[in-house]
Amino acid sequence: MHLPEWARLAGLLVVAVGFALRIKPTLVVVSAALLTGLLASIPLLTSAAGLQHVPVLRNVIGEPGQEGLIDMLGRAFAENRLMTLFIITLPAIALSERFGLQRQSAKLIGRIRVATVGRLLFVYQLFRVLMGILSLRVNGHPTFVRPLVYPMALGAARIRDSAASTEELPESTVERIKAASAASENYGNFYGQNLSPVQPGILLVYSVLKGLGYTVSVWRLVAYAIPIAAISLLLGALQFHLLGKRRRGRE
Amino acid sequence: MTHLIQVVFSLETVYLLTGLVLFAFAWLTFADKCHPAPAGSALFWAILGVIFILGTHLPHAITGFLVLILVALDGANRVRPGVAEQDDSPTANSPGPPPGPRVGNPTNRIFFPVLTIPLVTICFTLTFRLRHLDVTQGALIGLGFGGLAAMFVALRLTRAPLRTLLDDGRRLNECMGTVNILPQLLASLGVIFAAAGVGQLIARGIVNVVPRDHLFLLVVANCLGMFLFTIVMGNSFAALPVIAAGVLVPLIVVPFHVDPAMAAMITLTAGSSGTLITPMAANFNIVPAALLELKNPYAVLKFQLPFALVLWPLHVLLMYVLIRLS
Repeated sequence: MHLPEWARLAGLLVVAVGFALRIKPTLVVVSAALLTGLLASIPLLTSAAGLQHVPVLRNVIGEPGQEGLIDMLGRAFAENRLMTLFIITLPAIALSERFGLQRQSAKLIGRIRVATVGRLLFVYQLFRVLMGILSLRVNGHPTFVRPLVYPMALGAARIRDSAASTEELPESTVERIKAASAASENYGNFYGQNLSPVQPGILLVYSVLKGLGYTVSVWRLVAYAIPIAAISLLLGALQFHLLGKRRRGRE
Repeated sequence: MTHLIQVVFSLETVYLLTGLVLFAFAWLTFADKCHPAPAGSALFWAILGVIFILGTHLPHAITGFLVLILVALDGANRVRPGVAEQDDSPTANSPGPPPGPRVGNPTNRIFFPVLTIPLVTICFTLTFRLRHLDVTQGALIGLGFGGLAAMFVALRLTRAPLRTLLDDGRRLNECMGTVNILPQLLASLGVIFAAAGVGQLIARGIVNVVPRDHLFLLVVANCLGMFLFTIVMGNSFAALPVIAAGVLVPLIVVPFHVDPAMAAMITLTAGSSGTLITPMAANFNIVPAALLELKNPYAVLKFQLPFALVLWPLHVLLMYVLIRLS
C-alpha cells in the first residue's frame, strides 16, 4: 500500500476533531496513534518467536527488529508511569480535606489583610520560579494547588466580596479562581525550571545542540532563559491582577 | 547495605506502592454497593495497578494489549465515579470535604500531612544531588515516599481508620476519572508520531514555504514551527530536537552565524507557549482541571490562552533583536 507521506498527518486531524467534539480523550488518542502508525506502515506487533508462522498473524507482524505499534503503545505507557505517580498522594489529601484542610487554608488567608486573589496567585508563581532556581522539582498541582493555593485564593475572594462563606461565591467566580490557580502553577513551573542548569529543560537543549555539533555552556543557556522568565512573571502579575479587578467590578 | 537502600528507595518500589494503592481502590470500588459501574471501574483501576507493578518486566506487547483493554472499558462507558456516601450534600460543585465523620474545628495541624509530601520530595532531591545520582528520579521517588509518609501522618493526626483513608482517596481518584491515564497515552502517541516521522514532515513543510534569505520570516517560521509542533505533541521537549535539526540550525544558526545557545533556548520556551494552550499536554492542563473538579475540562487552557498568545510573539521579537544586535 503506497500512500503519500502527508497522509500520516491524518492522526492530527483525528485528535483535533476528537477533542473538539469532546469524544472520550483516551479513545481519541489511541485511535490517532493506531491510525498514524498504520498509515506509516508500522506493523501491529513485533515479530516474536514463532508468531510469524501463524497464518492469520503474518500480515500484522513486522520484520525481525522492527517494533510493532502495540509494543510501542505498551512500552511508552509503561515508561511514563511516572506521570501518574500523583495517585499515591490522593488518599492523604482527601482524608485531610475531610478533616477541614480547605476550610483551614481559607481561614488562614482571611487573617492576612493584604492578601488578595491577584497577589496570592502571583506570590505562588514567584514561589514556583524560586523552586525552579533551586532546582527543586515538585508536582505542584496535587501537592500545593488543590490543598493550599486554590482554597486560599477562594478565601481571599470571600473576604473581598464580603460573602459569609466561600459557598456563597458565584459559580463563575469559583471556576475562574480554580483555573487561575492551576495556571499559576504552570507559569511558575515552565519558565522557572530553565533558571537552573541541572533541570531537564537546560539539559535537553544542551544535549540537542551537542548532537548537532555545538558544545555550549549550560550557564550560558540559563542566562538566555532569564529574559523570558522575567517577562512571564510580569505577564502573570498582570493577568492575576486583572482577574481580581474584573471580579470586583462585577459585584 | 548500600545496595539494599538503592533497591528499597527506587522507582520500582514507588511503582509497586502506587500499584498496591490502585488495587485497594479497585477493591473498594468493587465492594461499593451503591456504585453505578462497580465491575468495569474496579477492572480498570486493577489493570492500571498491574501495569504499575509489572510494567518494567511484562513484554511490551502484553502491556499494549492491557492498555487497549483500559481504553475499551472507558470507551464503553464502563468506568464511572462512585456516588457520595450520603445524598444530603447538594453543594457538590466545589471540591469540599467528602461526607462522613469530620472534626468540627480544624487547627493548623491539618496542614501537616500535605506539607509532608513536598518536604519528603525535597529531601530526596537534595540527597540524590549530594550523592550525584539522577535528581529527576530522586524527585519522583520522593513524591512516592512523600505520598506514603503523608498517609501515615494523616492517619495519626486524624485517628481515622485506614479504610476511610483509602476510601477517600478512591473517591477523589474516581472523581478525576480516566483522564488520569491520559498523559501516559499521549506519551505513547508521541512515540508513534516520532516513528512515523510527523515532525520531519512539519519541518520540511516550513522549509519549503519560507524564503531562505529573509531572517525575520525564518525566525517567525522557527518559533511558529516549535509552537505548532508542541501543540501537536503536547510537549516542547519532544518538539525541540526536530525543530532544532530541521529548521533552527540549518536555516538560522549556520547561514546567519547566530549564537546557538541563545537561539535554542528561546526556541524551547517558544514551545512552552504551545504547551499552555494544548489539550495534548494533559498532565498540565486537563488532569489539573479534573483535580480541581472544574466543570469545563478546558477551563485551565482557556485561562492560559491570552498569556500564551502575548508571550509567543515576544519570543520572535527577542530572538530577532538579539541576532541583529550581535
